[in-house]
Amino acid sequence: MSVLIGKERRIIGFLCNWCSYGGADTAGVGRFTQPTDLRIIRVPCTGRINPLFVIKSLLGGADGVLVSGCHPRDCHYAEGNFYARRRLEMCKQLLPAVGIDSRRFEYTWVSASEGQRWQQVVTAFTEQIHALPPIPRIAESPDLGVLEQCG
Amino acid sequence: MSAAKFIAHTDVPAWLAELAASMRVIAPVTEGGNVLYREFDSATNGVELNRKPTESAKHVLFPRSEALFTFRKEPVPFAPDSLDPATEEDSPAPRMTLTQPEAPKPTVVFGMLCCDAGGVTTFDPVYGGRYQDPYYLQKREATVLIAKACNEPLKTCFCTWVGSDPANKRDADILATDFGNGLYLEALTERAERVLGSKLLQDAPANAEAKAEALHAAAREAIGEVPSLEGIDNTLTTLFDERDFWWSHSAPCLACGICTNLCPTCHCFTITDEKASGAGVRLRSWDTCMAALYTLEASGHNPRGQKAARLRNRVGHKFSYFLKNNNGRISCQGCGRCIKSCPSSVDIRRIVLDAMKKGCAVKEAANG
Amino acid sequence: MSIQAQLRDAILKVLPDVECVIGWGPGPDPLRNAPLFMKTPDDVERFEAGPLSVSNLAVFLQEYKGNKVGIVVKGCDSRSVVQMLAEKLINREDVVIIGYPCEGVLDAAKIVTKLGLPQEALEAGMVAKLELEGESVTVTARGKTTELAIKDVTATKCSICRYPNAVLSDEFVGEKREGLEDSYGDVDKFLAMSEEERFRFWEKEMERCIRCYACRNACPLCVCKDHCVATSRDPHWLTQADSPRDKLFFQLIHATHLAGRCTGCGECARACPVNIPVGLFKRFMNRATEKLFSFQGGVDPEATPPLQTFKLEEPTIQERNWK
Repeated sequence: MSVLIGKERRIIGFLCNWCSYGGADTAGVGRFTQPTDLRIIRVPCTGRINPLFVIKSLLGGADGVLVSGCHPRDCHYAEGNFYARRRLEMCKQLLPAVGIDSRRFEYTWVSASEGQRWQQVVTAFTEQIHALPPIPRIAESPDLGVLEQCG
Repeated sequence: MSAAKFIAHTDVPAWLAELAASMRVIAPVTEGGNVLYREFDSATNGVELNRKPTESAKHVLFPRSEALFTFRKEPVPFAPDSLDPATEEDSPAPRMTLTQPEAPKPTVVFGMLCCDAGGVTTFDPVYGGRYQDPYYLQKREATVLIAKACNEPLKTCFCTWVGSDPANKRDADILATDFGNGLYLEALTERAERVLGSKLLQDAPANAEAKAEALHAAAREAIGEVPSLEGIDNTLTTLFDERDFWWSHSAPCLACGICTNLCPTCHCFTITDEKASGAGVRLRSWDTCMAALYTLEASGHNPRGQKAARLRNRVGHKFSYFLKNNNGRISCQGCGRCIKSCPSSVDIRRIVLDAMKKGCAVKEAANG
Repeated sequence: MSIQAQLRDAILKVLPDVECVIGWGPGPDPLRNAPLFMKTPDDVERFEAGPLSVSNLAVFLQEYKGNKVGIVVKGCDSRSVVQMLAEKLINREDVVIIGYPCEGVLDAAKIVTKLGLPQEALEAGMVAKLELEGESVTVTARGKTTELAIKDVTATKCSICRYPNAVLSDEFVGEKREGLEDSYGDVDKFLAMSEEERFRFWEKEMERCIRCYACRNACPLCVCKDHCVATSRDPHWLTQADSPRDKLFFQLIHATHLAGRCTGCGECARACPVNIPVGLFKRFMNRATEKLFSFQGGVDPEATPPLQTFKLEEPTIQERNWK
């Protein structure tokens, strides 16, 4: 870990339980080399993802956020990812208003069998984030300093 | 205490810069179309004394949010023995460290309105009376208040109605009066000495007192006729259950917190812990009786679920309940911000006057 | 007959059938009217429509749900009503809509600027008298009387107003006006700033936010009101600290919750007591909604808001290609 300090970026991945989390697992089982910057949070469905998860991550200091779920028409809950697609696209459109590069956030679809595609996605996205400077941090009340220290 | 001084307008920035060397200097500045009480920056020097500040100065003594203390759980050193249940009693208990905030810096508020200074003296009995609040009192003691006599009241001003004055000498440590070319400074308390030592200050010109008095009288005059609010406290108590009265006055209210947050005398707070793994901070932050959450009980019941009840509380507290505990002093200072900034134009003056009228009618009816 | 008189007649006509008619009456200073809740013909005497009738009264409709009320609307206000109908937040039979052609509403800050701020340190509260006459407004402050053209001092939203007439009404008085173009110039102008500048702009603006939540409460489509996530401790989206990050985050909560719903009435920004241009976030969202879903909030009471539906294929959404 220590050799990576300063070299890694903080990237949060919200992955749906049924497809992309499995896809990431497939990539791991297949021993595909992947960058290690991504921290994965498993969610039941991309339809569960509140766009505020993305915004809160970015304002909280994440350099990038990746959402991945089942391919359209393949949602475990039939239509969760259809709603998600609209919501997440709107969320992406809002980022320039805040002064956050919209390339810091991507959403995509990776099925449980697509280990290779997962490798491709996570590599491309990590490179994309590394090409950008660290995310700007917004002023926070000094009163909250104690929270920052415990990470 | 009788010292009276004069400072030319052109010398004011230099004086404030001089004070800023050893004190936190807060002064009204223009920002984004507003006038806000901000830390004086000698680089920009933009003190705004002619327009009325959008917000009150209460946040200097009562921050919008302040840390009461921080807490942190100290990590327990790893001891292999402690994994053995047999020795559990000997393992060190986790320790919690509490840290107090630093003592407040000496502060001077320059150019505050008299109504804002009046706000401070309505805070005093609340935080320094029966219950002593060290966080407030330390700041209060460390702060010198320089009020500027108001020379041009706005349409929404009504300080004379509530026992205050555009140039009252009751509340601040120093009263400054604008003579056009400079400020005439009258020391009102001992604290004033802390900031009146500068060589930039001249002796007050002859007749200054009379000149100031004339300016004060003109401002007082500009506010216009002063209606009597005699007995308003009991009147509002009488009207407490007049549903129609409160519903009709609260109809346009949006139940936002502009009025209470901009008010120089609203002093309610809430306490929350903001925490992450093993550490956190206890915050005291402004609360507003206009919000539903203010009175929401743990059971889910809300005694003030309707905005009418909340508006009644705001008016009632300022013009009735506060008086009963504070020798008849109305807590409202008549700054008019709640009227000026209300997006729905709720006018507390109208409510109070209407209450006086309605109260008389109710009493007469009762007396038959 | 003047529009004012025609509107009074229309109000008197519906008054017996409703609990009250929501309109505007004289405000606490000459620059603005206040909401007026008319129950009797005497109340109707105080009714005033026109450039001083700024507030969007649709915000009050939720409170009268289940009771029939009348409401007087400008074009922008009517869109809020329509959007509420589309979302079934109110019932059509509970509301009588009285519309008129709006010529734009006054922006007090612009008037004050025209009169000589900041050189003369004038404030809206110093205006002693205001008179409207045809296309001009005569303002008296500090003993000086100035005549201004109404079009120079109307709110910014009025100069890009597509719907000056009520888009839906039971009673419409007056001659319909021509709508204007809106090309989202303000959004483009903001985007001309660098990313870093935009980010720091909000950081600075949010510093002075007093967390009064007037932006939320003035919004006719913010229907959670007392149950807003902003003040909830569980879930705990925001801390109580006075921090620009939390305050900015609330604006993004508001903007995302209005995505595909906002009708652009501008009340959030108007209500702000410290003039933070919070409407800009919603302008970004509205432009995106138009671009992606060809949807404008509050135009069609039968339309489904775009985020409450989907298409199997979304030809307008450009997804990232990972190849």
